Amino acid sequence: MKDIKLNVNGKDYTLNVDENIKLLGLLRDELGLTGAKEGCGEGECGACTVIMDGETVNSCLVMAFQADGSNILTIEGLEQNGELHPIQQAFIDVGAVQCGYCTPGMIMSVKALLDKNTNPTREEIREGISGNLCRCTGYNKIVDAAELSIKYLEEGRR
Amino acid sequence: MKKRGKGIGISFYGTGYGNGFPDVSKAKLRLHDNGKIGIYVGATEVGQGAKTALLQIGAEILNLSTENLLFISEDTSLMPDSGTAAASRQTYNTGNAIKIACENFKDKLIEISKEELGLNSTHGLMVEKGEIYLEFFLQKRISFKELVNKYGDGTIEAEGEFIAQTVEMDPETGQGAPYWPYTFNACGVELEVDTLTGRVEILNVRFAQDVGRAVNPRLVEGQMDGGFAMALGYALFEDLNLVKGQIKSNKFSRYLIPTAMDMIDVEKILIEDPEPTAPYGAKGIGEPVMIPVAPAILNAIYDATGVRILELPVTPERLRKAMDTKKNEGNFNMELNALKR
Amino acid sequence: MRLDVVGKNLIRVDAYSKVTGKALYPQDIYIDGMAYGKTLRSEKPHAYIKVDTREAEKLEGIIKIFTYKDVPKNSHGVVFKDHEVFCEKKVRRIGDPIAFVVGESERVCELALKKIVVHYDELEGVFDPLLAMDENSPKVHESGNIMYHYKIRKGNIKEGFKNSHAIVENTYKTHMVDHAFLQPEAGVSFIDDKGRITIMVATQYPHYDREEVAANLNLPQDQIRIINTNVGGAFGGREDISLQTHLALAVYTLKIPVKVIYSREESFIAHSKRHSMIMKCKTGADKDGKLLAMKAVIIGDTGAYASWGTNVLRKAGVHITGPYYIPNVVVDSYAVYTNNPFAGAMRGFGVTQVPIAHEQQMDILAEELGMDPVSIRMINMFGKGSVTATGQVLTESVPLEECLEKVVEGMDFYHREEEAK
Repeated sequence: MKDIKLNVNGKDYTLNVDENIKLLGLLRDELGLTGAKEGCGEGECGACTVIMDGETVNSCLVMAFQADGSNILTIEGLEQNGELHPIQQAFIDVGAVQCGYCTPGMIMSVKALLDKNTNPTREEIREGISGNLCRCTGYNKIVDAAELSIKYLEEGRR
Repeated sequence: MKKRGKGIGISFYGTGYGNGFPDVSKAKLRLHDNGKIGIYVGATEVGQGAKTALLQIGAEILNLSTENLLFISEDTSLMPDSGTAAASRQTYNTGNAIKIACENFKDKLIEISKEELGLNSTHGLMVEKGEIYLEFFLQKRISFKELVNKYGDGTIEAEGEFIAQTVEMDPETGQGAPYWPYTFNACGVELEVDTLTGRVEILNVRFAQDVGRAVNPRLVEGQMDGGFAMALGYALFEDLNLVKGQIKSNKFSRYLIPTAMDMIDVEKILIEDPEPTAPYGAKGIGEPVMIPVAPAILNAIYDATGVRILELPVTPERLRKAMDTKKNEGNFNMELNALKR
Repeated sequence: MRLDVVGKNLIRVDAYSKVTGKALYPQDIYIDGMAYGKTLRSEKPHAYIKVDTREAEKLEGIIKIFTYKDVPKNSHGVVFKDHEVFCEKKVRRIGDPIAFVVGESERVCELALKKIVVHYDELEGVFDPLLAMDENSPKVHESGNIMYHYKIRKGNIKEGFKNSHAIVENTYKTHMVDHAFLQPEAGVSFIDDKGRITIMVATQYPHYDREEVAANLNLPQDQIRIINTNVGGAFGGREDISLQTHLALAVYTLKIPVKVIYSREESFIAHSKRHSMIMKCKTGADKDGKLLAMKAVIIGDTGAYASWGTNVLRKAGVHITGPYYIPNVVVDSYAVYTNNPFAGAMRGFGVTQVPIAHEQQMDILAEELGMDPVSIRMINMFGKGSVTATGQVLTESVPLEECLEKVVEGMDFYHREEEAK
């Protein structure tokens, strides 16, 4: 067992964790944050994507103790005071959601992309979400959602 | 060298269990406290949008906004059996069951309102926006809330059942009417083949889908994009790598499904030609949207390279081999004793 | 017709819960005091088995190991009841369930799986559906390997080919593929406040699950309750029973909540596949390109179990003509057992496979006749009033020509044809 400190969605935690558990397991089983999903357990599908210190990670590949001292943002941390994040709103508005299992990870990847590049091209968006598999949507409406997010974010900044 | 080609695929698809098997959907409606109407159906939301599209059909018939409807479709102890969420049958079959249940429910509300309003006949009574009123004397009106307050939560109810019409086929000749309705589509693909690597890149897609009527066009578009992607994987790279019954590619690092980088924007064209037996003419499209894509890709590969790939998937290795030998790949003799009998 | 709601791009009712991570899939459900379950599966494609669970049962934290002995009625299946809940004497594919371990943690269940001894007395397997059709091949089921044969006999096929100016004949082959829905199978079972066995699962058809679970447990249906959670994609892969009966049996016997989550690897071997098909097609047309005859043989590999094999090969047989009027048609469509993964429903249900054949046949015919791919389709395709190969009249809503026109309009097919000449 190991003692770790981390911040998840703005909240500080001090935890004693099993050395064998993954960050995904910590979030889901210990903290009750089940928005990040396990789709493959080998970092191929991106359903478990969270943002760790500003970078997306497959939380199924990160050991929980490796998150010691880090800042983690999950899908549950996006909605603020009952108001959806512009990216979430854009996903709803263009119809980028079908079964929804990839959606939390997909939104986190779009967020990380737009945090770094405020005006990506469609091709750059495709590249930015290429680590997140979706079997339902064919991705096109997700790319549309990312484009609409750019607009929403710009409007919010004005 | 890069070679370009274009190809077409067209298809038809028969909806439902088929072949005379009773394809039944049931729906139940109940008036609840706060005047909301609950639609109870065993129609699964698998991601296709059943909860939304079926709610739209109910809202249309009841002249209500969807916010005034509840959709109960998850618990077998609460809802009737509406058949499987498969065979592209929910919009058509369960949509019809909901339509019938809603009409029966309206009749029931009108019958009760006749009594409550002290009228001689149901003639002229309309159901709209949570009220029943007499269209030529608007003072005669009663709201859903008033009715539920008087009769109690969930006691005013109605049911609907729909069975699709199909005819079992003759076992010797196959003659019969196995499915209904049929859904049609066409897909055109333009692509580029890298003759060195055998890799295929899709450049341009036009995809026209008969929907009867689109209940929710955006949901239909989502199905078309998704169907295209699944067919793209089917045609070009998905492979279980089956060896003596063992799936060697049993994880996503080996079983490759399309990523956002593999997909391109699809020009989607919705063709509306309402089907008279369908709810507002709407046909199911969940499966059809996958069907014409792979053959369009194969025909485009031939157009580009002059070789036919008769066996899926068209992996780069298979395509390169075919181009190198200028022979169709995958053709083999299927003469077998078992078939000669 | 004036429509207020139908035809509008309404926001999905489940969108909010899905973009916020609040939508619950079975994986996301935790119940206090729940145990975990893991499935022991066959590692051999065809073998007689003997199972010894005694050592595994001694492990601390193991609550119970279920085998065929614990199942009141051990057979299930969507059409034929040829699946066993747990294999008793024989396994027919890699992945066949043999036992279900329930323990206090997933880890102890995994340890127990390794301690269960399965003695395999291997049998010769058959993996090629063509070979499987031979009478001398190993039999997957007692009834023989040809599980289903669908036929169309329409018109006079000899006459049709005799009058044909061009005849093309080819054999096409498609492969088994997986649904690869993003959410692997998972479920939770508990006893509800009315004493009912309750299974929370992601399924395509909860009432079917209820019927099957009730039959396997030999209980009335009203004692079984299926709650469908959010479903993380399905595409046909959640039609057959996977873990529902295992969960029901465990909670019925142990009276404690039980949870199961499949890994991606287990998901791949647990559910059905798309049928691979061999399609031999002979198509004839007159000199103007009018189709006169088609003869087709389809052999679908349904793997170790029937699942929807009959219906899939029937649907393939009905649709192999493509959306074209053909006066003379002979179709023979077979579903064949092998020791491969079992094949069942997948998006398109047999109709996704057949255009690999009929649409290439059309292009090959067109080339032989010096026609372009669009024209040959235009003169043969179904329209209102057309009759299919099964004799069905398409009375209404047949906008195929419009579909093709709209596609061609933006792609310049004719122009290209002229260039080529």
